[in-house]
Amino acid sequence: MLTFQGYRRPQGLPGARNAVAVIPSVFCANTVARRIAEHVAGAIAFCHPVGCSQVGLDLELTTRGLKGLGKHPNFYGVVVVGLGCERFQARELAESITAAGKPVEMLVIQEEGDTLRAIEKGVTFAGRMAEEASRQTREEFPLSEFSLGLKCGGTDATSGLAANPALGWVTDRICEAGGRAIFTEVTELIGAEQILARRAVNPKVASQILSTIGSMEKRLSAATASAEIRHRSALISPGNEDGGVTSVVEKALGGIYKAGTGPISGGVGYGEYPEGPGLYLLDCVGHDGEAVTGLVASGCQAVVFTTGRGTPTGFPGVPVIKITGNRATYERMRFNLDFNAGGIVEGTPIAEVGAELLAKVLRIGSGEPSRAELLGHDELFCITRI
Amino acid sequence: MAKALKINPRDNVAVLLEDIRSGETVDVATGAEVICIQARQEIAFGHKIALANLDADQPIIKYGEEIGRARTAIGAGDWIHLHNLYCRRGHEDRAE
Repeated sequence: MLTFQGYRRPQGLPGARNAVAVIPSVFCANTVARRIAEHVAGAIAFCHPVGCSQVGLDLELTTRGLKGLGKHPNFYGVVVVGLGCERFQARELAESITAAGKPVEMLVIQEEGDTLRAIEKGVTFAGRMAEEASRQTREEFPLSEFSLGLKCGGTDATSGLAANPALGWVTDRICEAGGRAIFTEVTELIGAEQILARRAVNPKVASQILSTIGSMEKRLSAATASAEIRHRSALISPGNEDGGVTSVVEKALGGIYKAGTGPISGGVGYGEYPEGPGLYLLDCVGHDGEAVTGLVASGCQAVVFTTGRGTPTGFPGVPVIKITGNRATYERMRFNLDFNAGGIVEGTPIAEVGAELLAKVLRIGSGEPSRAELLGHDELFCITRI
Repeated sequence: MAKALKINPRDNVAVLLEDIRSGETVDVATGAEVICIQARQEIAFGHKIALANLDADQPIIKYGEEIGRARTAIGAGDWIHLHNLYCRRGHEDRAE
């Protein structure tokens, strides 16, 4: 049986990492949060530009994203830092994380007095949590306790030929074992909605898939209605066309290879966790940062990111595992890339490369650092907006 | 090593694994056997070559699914791209 070594949590899936998260509820608390994390080994600050003067769905997405992040399995505990006057109060964020059974401390700058007092209190909180976290050891968990995020970016012709099929093989094995896999990038699925709907476990999920992709298409259409650029033409970049991708359907099909061949169990909203095992479609855009943040805010302990052209990015506290099907890219960007799936292009069976990739994913899930972690890449934390 | 790959048994196109010249014979790996086809134009790495003669409006199949339709009649060995494939989705900005 395939297993990985993780950190047990009071509720939910185990962690692949054991960090202390310092999360500002509003951007005004960023500097305090960052300085708290700088003083405590094992603490990560999640600075962001949102939380002030937002309304409606935009504010709702921020709250859901930060709540989903706060209860993420890779964090031992969370220090929430608020300013005091923001609409999304630090207390609401802290209470949602407490409800998920995780150690939480909260401080509000306007109540503490000033920056120095807030930092001092935050360092005390985070330091105590980091000490507690250090006493925890990894335990063995079955694959059914794993939730993998699926993402691609910097796509070229090898993505649909090698990297995505290898990842699709991994997705199928995780889902068969009772684990979870989540794919998203809904902007990239336009044109393949009927093909995906056929894979739904029941008609309700099929209509959910169609409405998620249909809504995204309407949103893109509305956003560009008055612009010179027609919305759908923007879905294929000149680089995609130069690389041989001719239609949106072709692009979407190459991308959804990473979601394997199994049934789709359901959809998840931004900041929501899947209700059970299986393959899920997360409602989020294709922007690398927003999509990976969405996958993390839906509880993925690790993300596999396929790339043809190569990209160095990472997410703080969550391994983002880079794989390419392009041997030249692998040689050129070797220190940024975790896995070469290019053997498939040269005739190695997908199952053989897929099995090696799954072993790599489980080693990284068990503590081996991904290349993005080794290099300190953390630019993918990016709350989605409307 | 084959110079092109037919991804799904239903496909009527293959993807080039290297740049090829017009008139060059291309070995296409299909999973079961290797078939040969003569390229009728220069085709770049990552682009598609037709594996059969196609009438105008006939579906073009890649990954086992329809990715678009032939804009004109296409011959086996032709390069397939924006000039001879149309898709009802995604290119309304281009005059048909």
